[in-house]
Amino acid sequence: MAMLSFESKYRVRGGTLVGGDLFDFWVGPFYVGFFGVTTLFFALTGTLLIIWGAAMGEGLNGQSWNLWQISIAPPDLSVGLGLAPLDQGGLWQVITVCAAGAFISWMLRQVEISRKLGMGLHVPFAYGVAVSAYLTLVVVRPILLGAWGHGFPYGILSHLDWVSNVGYQYLHFHYNPAHMIAITFFFACCLALAMHGSLILSVTNPKKGEPVKTSEHENAFFRDTLGYSIGAIGIHRLGLWLALLAVIFSNVCILLSGPFWTKGWPEWWSWWLNLPIWS
Amino acid sequence: MISLRRLTLALAVVGLAGCQLPPQDSTQVGFRGVMIGQTSSPETMAALQAANVAPAALPPAATDASRADSIYQNVQVLGHLSNAEFLRTMTAITNWVAPTTGPEAGCNYCHNAQNLASDEKYQKVVSRQMLRMTQEINGEWTGHVAQTGVTCYTCHRGGPVPPGTWYYTDVNQPLRHYLDRDDIRVQSQMPLRTEVSNRSSVNQAEYAYALMINMSSGLGVNCTFCHNSRAFTNWDQSPPQRLTALRGLRMVRSLNMNHMVALQDVWPAARHAADHLTDEGTLEPWHVNAEVSRGPMGDGAKLQCQTCHQGLNKPLYAAAMAQAYPGLYPYVPPPVSEATADTAAAIE
Repeated sequence: MAMLSFESKYRVRGGTLVGGDLFDFWVGPFYVGFFGVTTLFFALTGTLLIIWGAAMGEGLNGQSWNLWQISIAPPDLSVGLGLAPLDQGGLWQVITVCAAGAFISWMLRQVEISRKLGMGLHVPFAYGVAVSAYLTLVVVRPILLGAWGHGFPYGILSHLDWVSNVGYQYLHFHYNPAHMIAITFFFACCLALAMHGSLILSVTNPKKGEPVKTSEHENAFFRDTLGYSIGAIGIHRLGLWLALLAVIFSNVCILLSGPFWTKGWPEWWSWWLNLPIWS
Repeated sequence: MISLRRLTLALAVVGLAGCQLPPQDSTQVGFRGVMIGQTSSPETMAALQAANVAPAALPPAATDASRADSIYQNVQVLGHLSNAEFLRTMTAITNWVAPTTGPEAGCNYCHNAQNLASDEKYQKVVSRQMLRMTQEINGEWTGHVAQTGVTCYTCHRGGPVPPGTWYYTDVNQPLRHYLDRDDIRVQSQMPLRTEVSNRSSVNQAEYAYALMINMSSGLGVNCTFCHNSRAFTNWDQSPPQRLTALRGLRMVRSLNMNHMVALQDVWPAARHAADHLTDEGTLEPWHVNAEVSRGPMGDGAKLQCQTCHQGLNKPLYAAAMAQAYPGLYPYVPPPVSEATADTAAAIE
């Protein structure tokens, strides 16, 4: 495997969290490490179990190799937080363990690599927020509601149906205040990315014969348009936080729905109508 | 900074005040993982249970061969009952509708004490219509009320004005479509708007949504009680409750048109709270809603799901109250035996 000329310089020993030197090696361009092995193990096991589940046809629609229809469903609510038979949600439970194992292993592998390179832990932190969304949906919320059956099924269409029905269990999910905040962060994140991406494209694609523009031009452009330029590092910090807060508030919005609020979300806004200002 | 901190604190208090802490109860309908079902807080359930207790039935009437309409005058609906059963039914109705003591409560809420047969009190005329309605519900709408049936108490809950009725407020009131639309037909059956048959407006869609929310809050259930939200219109994927609900909608529409609207001119135009004040100046408890016997547009009270259901998907937890009172079912004359028929024919 070809290696970039400077890469050997960064291939430093040490920084591992567990396993010492045992897994401290590379396969081609890929660092392995203890968590690389566990990632591979969990990802492979989970994927094979999904394929096995598809072969058994344990989902709502029976056996199908149609990629859209394959679904591995969680146990019945009556199982509570116990273990279910493999073909009645047990498979979903094992796959959930595999997925959580693979995601967390990958995050810890990022920690090890960051330590090797002497970087901050921003990358594993940001990735961990994405993992937290998954864990909130299939571990934390089901535990708070007292049944694994509150997790979402593993299927392309079936998980969308789950999202739709869970939303309508609270009548109108757009009235969920945390959902509103999360959506606002998602949209703001898109806006920031569009503004930043277009800026970078325009400074790196000047008129024929002109040199590529620098950050002075970038700052001047946004100071002229908006009165303020957040700067080259700032835009990346802003973008990261907009993205992370979108996910964090998504976690909050689904965690509230059920464990902390069982009625329709429109009804939650009664406090607004009942404010002593106008009521 | 302090004011900002106070604002944050106030917001946190507002947010937490609405919170219901886990654990909650949840139910599952259909296949696992589809998430059709209800989640409810035990506190809410306990409050509903306390507020929805069916009163016990009166002791059965003594067997009695007499007919009420041969003893009393002007008995138009319950004449077929025996005297004992007739008096028992009258007592039950009084308990359900106007039980509190006072010059205008008890029998006197509907009757002139000097002449019980008189129809001079509009309450009596309304009661008669309501009895006809109850008989129709229990006899003809079993697709909705099943064998449980309804009694006066299902709606009235111990007061003359049921807590869950509604009135016209303006021309855009969504509930009006209980009366003047056939069924909800706003969702297209095809992707994109390629069909010409669906001419529903945004307004109509909003009325449909408002009606659905009204049903939802009346029954204390969420959308998935009747629908699989992946395909709202599709009956194959809907929980069976949707069919019961459709029959219920048609029942409400029919009852409103045939019974409630018929009473519109019977109710006094200005029966208001001032007529029913206690010495303390508050409303007599059984007249709490009396000031709204006609709505702001002059119409009479009308029914909705809430009127009977009062927050439960099965009113009064499906207590079988009605079956103890034969007067609440349509009168089916006993079959005339052949011998009697022959004699009658011979006489003719």
